[in-house]
Amino acid sequence: MKNLFAFALGSLLRRGAKNLFIFVIFFLMVFVLASVFMVTHALKKEMFTTLSALPQITVQRIVAGRQTQIGVERAERIARILGVSQALPRVWGFYYFPRAGVNYSIVGLESFGQQYRADLQKAADLYVEKLAAEDVMIVGPGVKKSLAEHFYPESFLFVKPDGSLKKVRIAGVFKPQTVLESNDLILMENSLVREIFGMDESMATDIVVRVPNKEEIPTVARKIREIYPDTRVITREDLRISYQNVFDYKSGIFLALFIVAVFTFFIILYDKASGLSSEEKREIGILKALGWKIGDIMRVKFFEAAVISLTAYLLAVTAAVAYVFMAQAPLLKHLFTGFSVLKPPFALPFTVDVGTLALIFFVTVPVYIAATLIPSWKAATLDADEVIR
Amino acid sequence: MTLLSPEVIAVLMLDGILFFFASLAFLLSLRIVLRWDERATTPLQYTLQKQAYLVATVIAFIFYLKLPLFLFFIYTLDLLSNILPGAMCAAGVTTATVYGMPLFGLKIANLYLFGLWLAAHRIDMGYPTMPYTRVKFLAYLLIFPLFVVEEALELLHFFGINPHVIVSCCGTLFSAAKSSAVSAFVSLPLPVTLGTFYGLFGLAVWAWRKQRPLLSALANLLFVPVAILSLIAFFSTYVYEMPHHHCPFCLLQADYRFVGYLMYAFLFFGTFFGMAAWLAKRMGYEGWRKWLLFSVIGDFLYVALVSYYPIAFYLKNGVWL
Repeated sequence: MKNLFAFALGSLLRRGAKNLFIFVIFFLMVFVLASVFMVTHALKKEMFTTLSALPQITVQRIVAGRQTQIGVERAERIARILGVSQALPRVWGFYYFPRAGVNYSIVGLESFGQQYRADLQKAADLYVEKLAAEDVMIVGPGVKKSLAEHFYPESFLFVKPDGSLKKVRIAGVFKPQTVLESNDLILMENSLVREIFGMDESMATDIVVRVPNKEEIPTVARKIREIYPDTRVITREDLRISYQNVFDYKSGIFLALFIVAVFTFFIILYDKASGLSSEEKREIGILKALGWKIGDIMRVKFFEAAVISLTAYLLAVTAAVAYVFMAQAPLLKHLFTGFSVLKPPFALPFTVDVGTLALIFFVTVPVYIAATLIPSWKAATLDADEVIR
Repeated sequence: MTLLSPEVIAVLMLDGILFFFASLAFLLSLRIVLRWDERATTPLQYTLQKQAYLVATVIAFIFYLKLPLFLFFIYTLDLLSNILPGAMCAAGVTTATVYGMPLFGLKIANLYLFGLWLAAHRIDMGYPTMPYTRVKFLAYLLIFPLFVVEEALELLHFFGINPHVIVSCCGTLFSAAKSSAVSAFVSLPLPVTLGTFYGLFGLAVWAWRKQRPLLSALANLLFVPVAILSLIAFFSTYVYEMPHHHCPFCLLQADYRFVGYLMYAFLFFGTFFGMAAWLAKRMGYEGWRKWLLFSVIGDFLYVALVSYYPIAFYLKNGVWL
């Protein structure tokens, strides 16, 4: 067995040029596939980290199929439902800055009040006095950078709905745990956000509800729906499933298209492996004349295929890790994140899991070996007397 | 298709390839069974002998791919449980359609059958005249329909899953309250369950001591369902350390350090060689004693692993669940 393996390695090296061609194609295929799955997986992880920081239940008011402002008094009624520990009205929205072509997320917070998220709470605690005293904002690193690029290093002039300007000073830079959602974040006092968006004092964007016991979330969500039939109640679980589906859908479509490429490769490989040169035929003939059995030759052929496909797989996966996590997947990342101009840049977190590696393995290596099965059988059953003659 | 997860597509694609090769092997086997004549010196016989190699290689390929693919299949079901409402492990996904459970059973059965076929082939190749060629390929003709049914069930299952319909969690599927075959076993008195389990293991060990492969094969054949049912009824609760959590699938999750994969690998290894040893002896292969030993080692490792949990629990807490 060891000798057969050594023979297979030797035979691969002797015919380096022919094998190199197949090796390179296979390497590229695995590399593309691995990169796509690693990007998806990293994005998924980033999204789920974001998700775990989100409130358990979000309540929105829907009018004519559109989300609209919700009365803050509803938060008090919801807070009285058993099992709810906290219900907070949120004031937030998107502010489009035309010169940079970017949407900022402006999130309001109640200074001296409780926040619905730990990282917001930390920021609020840190800057509470400043936020309450004057018109200031805390910005994410991406916002800070894009404002500085457009000559707003210290403060920014927001355009209110009536056309007048509102000057807000930058008080600090917000360093959140995940960058994907917080890069474009601007934090301000609630009243200031209302002023910029032209919202009424008694209105909020939505209401977030905290339910300490996970098992009670569906029941609480149902109760809210019953009390306020005009609302849309979204639980964290709903969001998680829909995110998962979106990512599965994108990579699923990619894989479905990729399978076409896999089969094309299958046919090329089949063809390549079937066409033996007269030299190779002679070699097989001599081996058989020396007493090699059909099984021995097939084993050598199998070793050859296994060595090429496994080496290509390992190298391609390593290269994909470097491409995705060290080079941050240029080109590919935008395929999944959408409009890159509107979204400030962020870094893909490093994640490689066994499941993804197994998935990449299963759609490439067995296909390669399968394509060589029949050609290697054909080669092994050549008649010795005919080929050496 | 309502589920477009990359894992499902990968499983379906590989099974498509396997199906192609299995059909090819089926057609060739059919010809071999009909026309094989080892005394003939015709070109046909010569071609058939060559084709026999191809069929055997293809079946070996199918088996060695099916083995890891089965684990990947379970892993895929586990992943899908994140999407399906109500499912918390592969159990819910398996029962999402009526085809799930038969599919699972058939997948396991086919693994054994393909494995046994390969064992028989290896033995047959050891004889210069290959006396079992015809029987061997006839056996494959009988295995192939099962494989086709498995593929069909898999398609029906994956296309039939509706991600908007709530499925059951393993907590309700394997509880003693429901009147299904499994729950009947769960509610059996504990001494009966454990007695059968350890009794069959003892029988397998005794068969090895007395070198009785037929007895060992029978004991191992029964051991597979009994081991799985006793795992559901008794041992799994100690792995989870929860008296009402009976589930053979949650073991495969990261929360329990993937111990299920190890358990099922031991169980398969042990019971497979237990059956293969009998086949080997029937075919006059001397290696059957070694295989019998493999079987006892595999069975022992399985029994030791599952028994560790209740014993460790008792030593730590001083009570049984």
